[in-house]
Amino acid sequence: MIIFWIVIGFTMLGLVGFGLQILSVRSYLKRHPSPFHGLDSIRAYPPISILKPLSGLEDNLFNNLESFCHQDYPKYEILCSVQDPNDPAYRVVERIKKKFPDKEISIIVERCNEGLNPKVNNLLPAYRHSQYPYILISDSNVMVERDYLKKNIQFLVDPQVGLVTNLIRGVGAKTIGSFFENLHLNSFILGTVCFLKEFFDIPCVVGKSMLMRRSDLEAIGGLRAFKDVLAEDHFIGEEIKKRGQEVILANHMIRNVNEYWGLKRFMNRHLRWGKMRWKILGYKYVAELIGNPVFLSLTSLIFEGPSKRAFLFIATVSLAKGIGDYYIGKKVNANLHPFVYFLSPFKDLLIGLLWFMSIANNTVVWRGKRYLIGDNTVLSPYSQNSSWTWRYRFINWIRIRAT
Amino acid sequence: MLLCDFHIHTTYSDGSVELRRAIDLFGQAGFDVIAITDHVVSGETAFGKLANRFRFSIQEDNFNSYFENIVEEGRRAWDRYRMLVLPGIEITKSSFSSNQSAHVLLIDIKTFVSASWDFEKIFLEAKKQDALIIACHPHHSSELMVDTLYLWNHRKKYARYIDAWEIANRDDVFNVISLKRYPYIAGSDFHRVRHLYSWKTMLNCEKEIEAIKQCIRYNRGVAITLFRDGIPF
Repeated sequence: MIIFWIVIGFTMLGLVGFGLQILSVRSYLKRHPSPFHGLDSIRAYPPISILKPLSGLEDNLFNNLESFCHQDYPKYEILCSVQDPNDPAYRVVERIKKKFPDKEISIIVERCNEGLNPKVNNLLPAYRHSQYPYILISDSNVMVERDYLKKNIQFLVDPQVGLVTNLIRGVGAKTIGSFFENLHLNSFILGTVCFLKEFFDIPCVVGKSMLMRRSDLEAIGGLRAFKDVLAEDHFIGEEIKKRGQEVILANHMIRNVNEYWGLKRFMNRHLRWGKMRWKILGYKYVAELIGNPVFLSLTSLIFEGPSKRAFLFIATVSLAKGIGDYYIGKKVNANLHPFVYFLSPFKDLLIGLLWFMSIANNTVVWRGKRYLIGDNTVLSPYSQNSSWTWRYRFINWIRIRAT
Repeated sequence: MLLCDFHIHTTYSDGSVELRRAIDLFGQAGFDVIAITDHVVSGETAFGKLANRFRFSIQEDNFNSYFENIVEEGRRAWDRYRMLVLPGIEITKSSFSSNQSAHVLLIDIKTFVSASWDFEKIFLEAKKQDALIIACHPHHSSELMVDTLYLWNHRKKYARYIDAWEIANRDDVFNVISLKRYPYIAGSDFHRVRHLYSWKTMLNCEKEIEAIKQCIRYNRGVAITLFRDGIPF
């Protein structure tokens, strides 16, 4: 009985947290996108190198790349890097190049195995070929508005600003995995990012869009310094902050188009992200579980049994969460059908289970390869041979403590 | 080389993806040529009657709107992706016996062709319209409930009408086509999004309807490839 009331208490705490997330999203989106308005002259816009690490056919890849060709910006280059000329993304970039012959678009095909982070491995050749003083790292699954570059570069007029990142919203879902993905991006991820910024002034760096000066990136060791960490975006932001520069979370939203995801892909991504946050946050990661009121309310079934009271409680919490998700979805123009929000509790249940899985295991599968994640998300190779793996983990454990 | 898929179904028959979305999906993936080939089912069998009753088949009364929609979407696909879209149908004669079942693609078709006609009449009508005639999944398949072996079993009679045979369909490869040295192509038999990743045809010719038809008929500069998605980050 007491445990049931404890569960109610934590669930209410989670709901209050969720309410604060909604308020944060609301107030953050209301703000003016930029404190600077001094870049009226076209000459003031510096040239930008956009780095696009490509691997396989992301949903909407053609449109995503095309949106970068429509930028209302005087001078920029797009460097698309693939590891293999047979990658299907190669054909798509070629098609884009033909469609926009006046744009500076390059395809860099280079197999790079310098580090263990496959995204950084893909970025390194493009970074080497880039020529402009501002670097934008932009994932292949983002679609942007015409004024995206102009709005983001304005923050970097201030030399105290070292990195500009953006809020993301998930759009375009057509399958169950993408419904879950977009619901999660638009509620938990967006809500948490805004909440941390509003209440604790902690800007989360979203790797899907990072604009910075080349000189600042070089000062923190260049991309090569992050080749062996899983959360390269987080640590780039941390290093920038260590230099005394500010990381800006621009409220100009970018679209993350997820159309045809399966459940497996959704689970794999959030398991990876969960493990990453567990390694970065440590015990603070518990807050994420408390921030999942639907999952907490479901645990009442364990302590109370399948009683009418427990079901009523779960239904009420799920309804409140669903309405909140719907409200945020409306605010960010997620374009999800209202019925999709009925899936929200099932998504939260799955995310709750993934939370436990992420702390139970310290390996991660990324691009078909398995890695061991150490402290600060440092990656190590993982052998499928279990006895070798245990020896490796032991040596790794000593190595981490020795340094 | 042109990346092509000549075997695509939409919600006009039993596909799960609408025509516009299917075209966007292939356009986004960098394809050069596709053919939309929804089923025209023979109403002679119980299976065919059901398919016609529940509109899992193109019928004479909606063929024109189907055709016009493909042409209109084809214009959009050309403007947007520089992708050529050919209108087609899949003549579907299915029964409970493999030896009585056969499916044939008619590509670049202009007017309705009924699946209730006998094969000779269908082929002659297709030739009159200068359509490509492709025998699809002609041998034992891993995905079909009932194999479609009729044309293969009667190849001596019908091979002279057929422009090409599907040597690969979705995940299956039919080595008998290679052994008989018949002209070949490969297609996805696309019904669901995941079928995008399957066997495809590569053609070494101009991106132009007549050149494509010639290339397939003479079967020079034709290759097949297993199209995979890579692994996104």
